[in-house]
Amino acid sequence: MSYFNKMKGGGQSPPQVGLTEVLWSWLGSFLGLAAVSLIHYKILDETGLMMIIGSFGASAVLIYGAIRSPLAQPRNLLGGHILSAIIGVTAFQWLGGEPWLAAAVAVSTAIAVMHLTKTLHPPGGATALIAVIGGESVHNLGYLYVLVPTALGAMVMLVVALMVNNISKNRRYPEFWF
Amino acid sequence: MKEIRNAAFIPVDISEQDVFEAMKHIKGYIDITPGDFKEVYQSAYDLAIQRLLNSLTADKIMTRSVIFVDQEMALVGAADLLAEKQISGGPVVDSNGKVVGVVSEKDFLKEMGFGATPSFMQLATHCLNSKSCMIRRLHNKTVGDIMTKPPITAGSEMTIGAISALFAKHQINRLPIIDDDMRPIGMVTRTDLAHSFDTLGKRSKI
Repeated sequence: MSYFNKMKGGGQSPPQVGLTEVLWSWLGSFLGLAAVSLIHYKILDETGLMMIIGSFGASAVLIYGAIRSPLAQPRNLLGGHILSAIIGVTAFQWLGGEPWLAAAVAVSTAIAVMHLTKTLHPPGGATALIAVIGGESVHNLGYLYVLVPTALGAMVMLVVALMVNNISKNRRYPEFWF
Repeated sequence: MKEIRNAAFIPVDISEQDVFEAMKHIKGYIDITPGDFKEVYQSAYDLAIQRLLNSLTADKIMTRSVIFVDQEMALVGAADLLAEKQISGGPVVDSNGKVVGVVSEKDFLKEMGFGATPSFMQLATHCLNSKSCMIRRLHNKTVGDIMTKPPITAGSEMTIGAISALFAKHQINRLPIIDDDMRPIGMVTRTDLAHSFDTLGKRSKI
């Protein structure tokens, strides 16, 4: 297929999900985000720590809205976030003087490492990026960013996913753990 | 070789629309486009077909009580033997017991002068229309003189997929199965092959 022909697409979008699936996705993501936000705003806010980062919104799409996806499984959720956080903090600490370079290196390296470790989780790219562009509050955490908010937040979201996604007889989570 | 038109295979193909409909029956969001799924399905289907064709080998489907003839045997004796055993051909061996050729009805008819693609009906027509039956040419000849050589043979590990390809390519009806010393240990005929595919077809429905 020629270079420009490929741009036409030609495939089709998967079918729309049923209304019950939409409701379960809504409920799961509401409870998941509620859990991490409550910890963030009611417990950690005054300590300088944080529990919520933007990439959790993206994780919610996967682990509550596309629970069959390989990208949404625990291995990917935890592995993708944690590895990307390590890479993001490292990129900022080594290349922070050139933020544009640190940002590009953080995300691209995170994707490569997630691929190589079979932990591809799209929100991981955001986790790596936030380590660079997240401002003072994130930079001050140093490598603690990997544990709190990243690892802990992802685990809280995972626990909610396990509880909510298995209630309906038509839903099952996870497909695999590792 | 007879080519089977591609259109004849369409019943086992699936369309993107089939995939789309099937995806609708599965609750939840499936993270793949119908086109990609179809591609995966077709690759997997090909592998399954290959596995099916490789699952049976010559030693499992061959006739073991193989009737073979010595290349020094006179044609009259060979004809007698084939007639007695009610078979239309078999492998030919040399004095060491190694397969050196295959002899069948066709080789007899060819020797009688009925051309490269002889048939019994040619013989019947000829004999009905003239007094001589061209049978004289067969006197004083041995099996070695008329056999098809070199023989197309196979080892006991050859899969039915490969055997089918060999039958189609060489337009043969029987394949002597030989051991490492070229000695005949069995014979796979068209009928054996048909049986094996029939069995596979029935098993796949279980």
